[in-house]
Amino acid sequence: MRFRFCGDLDCPDWVLAEINILSKITSVKAKLLGVQVLKNMLGDSMDYEKVHKLTSDAKFETGDIKASIAALTFIMSSAAKYDVDAETLSNELQQLGLPKEHTTSLCKSYSDAQTKLQENFRESSLRVSMLDSVQWRVDYILSSSELQHVNEPSVQLKLNVKDGSSQEVNPVAVTLTSDKFRVLLYELKQAQTAMENLEL
Amino acid sequence: MLLAFDDSHKEHLSFLVDLDPEVLNEFGRISMNFIRKGTNPKVFQGAAQKLGVPVETVQHGVEGLMFLLTESCKYMLSDIDFQDSVMTLGCSEETRATLLALYLENQREIRDILQEMSMDLPHYRDLEWRFDMQLSSRSLRHQMVPSILLRLVTEDEGERSTTMMETDPVNLVHMTRVLETALQEMKSGYCRRIARNIK
Repeated sequence: MRFRFCGDLDCPDWVLAEINILSKITSVKAKLLGVQVLKNMLGDSMDYEKVHKLTSDAKFETGDIKASIAALTFIMSSAAKYDVDAETLSNELQQLGLPKEHTTSLCKSYSDAQTKLQENFRESSLRVSMLDSVQWRVDYILSSSELQHVNEPSVQLKLNVKDGSSQEVNPVAVTLTSDKFRVLLYELKQAQTAMENLEL
Repeated sequence: MLLAFDDSHKEHLSFLVDLDPEVLNEFGRISMNFIRKGTNPKVFQGAAQKLGVPVETVQHGVEGLMFLLTESCKYMLSDIDFQDSVMTLGCSEETRATLLALYLENQREIRDILQEMSMDLPHYRDLEWRFDMQLSSRSLRHQMVPSILLRLVTEDEGERSTTMMETDPVNLVHMTRVLETALQEMKSGYCRRIARNIK
């Protein structure tokens, strides 16, 4: 069975098993659990005390709690990943066996959070490195040990590069003469024009 | 199989066989703690004072007990083998029973600890990917070059190392095909026969 929220692939077996466990709690509790899971995915930490209280009525063990959180995280994140709207998600979850009240409440919270989730995922996509900040300074060289009257302007550039994985900022410093700097500026302006032509 | 004790080991353990079962249990607990977390010489002092024996005897006793437990777990001795090996030390029925109980209770844990200590290769930790399309460069405009960027994170004894790789789609398809064949190999008749025979 192909599901759109799994990217047109089969749904993993463990998710099918967890849907069975999720049906055991009431739909109100399922919605609150979904809200906690969404909060966790958007960066705030999950309130484990609340989760424990929600699941204690249905007598979930620690393994069941972990499994249901994992299943909800998977469903929400892959639905956002493949850009599935709330109605399709609701239909597909009902096909998998989740009761109607659960799916309506879960999909409502999903549709509220969908854009934020997608933005969050876009930010956390793989990046090699990124530019943190740029600092520059223009000097005028009067003379040096080689030549008495140099009289040349020069630019000092410091680029703070943030590494993609470790998040540490490394400075890269260069000094340029005005000709070299002109060439650099020209090439970068060409790249910027190429990028602007792409923005549809 | 039976454990063969050399004379110095027998001498160290001979101190233990004369003790009461509670004291023996206490020694067993101390040895297990040392196996889990490492030795602590101060404990020897306290025990030696309580029992009125020199510190060295206590130390040798505990170390001898640790060695007995780790060697028996290493060779995965059954109860009978363990009891026969311990019989050569010449201890009472009670002492033997206490030692056997200690062995059986902690066997699995000691085996886990010993397994972690063996030689290990870096483990897979995380793989992130990104699908890019190069559209133009400084030398050439209006290109369409697809490429896939991979970041593999491996872990070796707590240290993580990151490898960045780039590949084109054809290579990626080949890689997935090769890895899937490797997975399928596990289901072949040959591997199944070996897996059955190992038990």
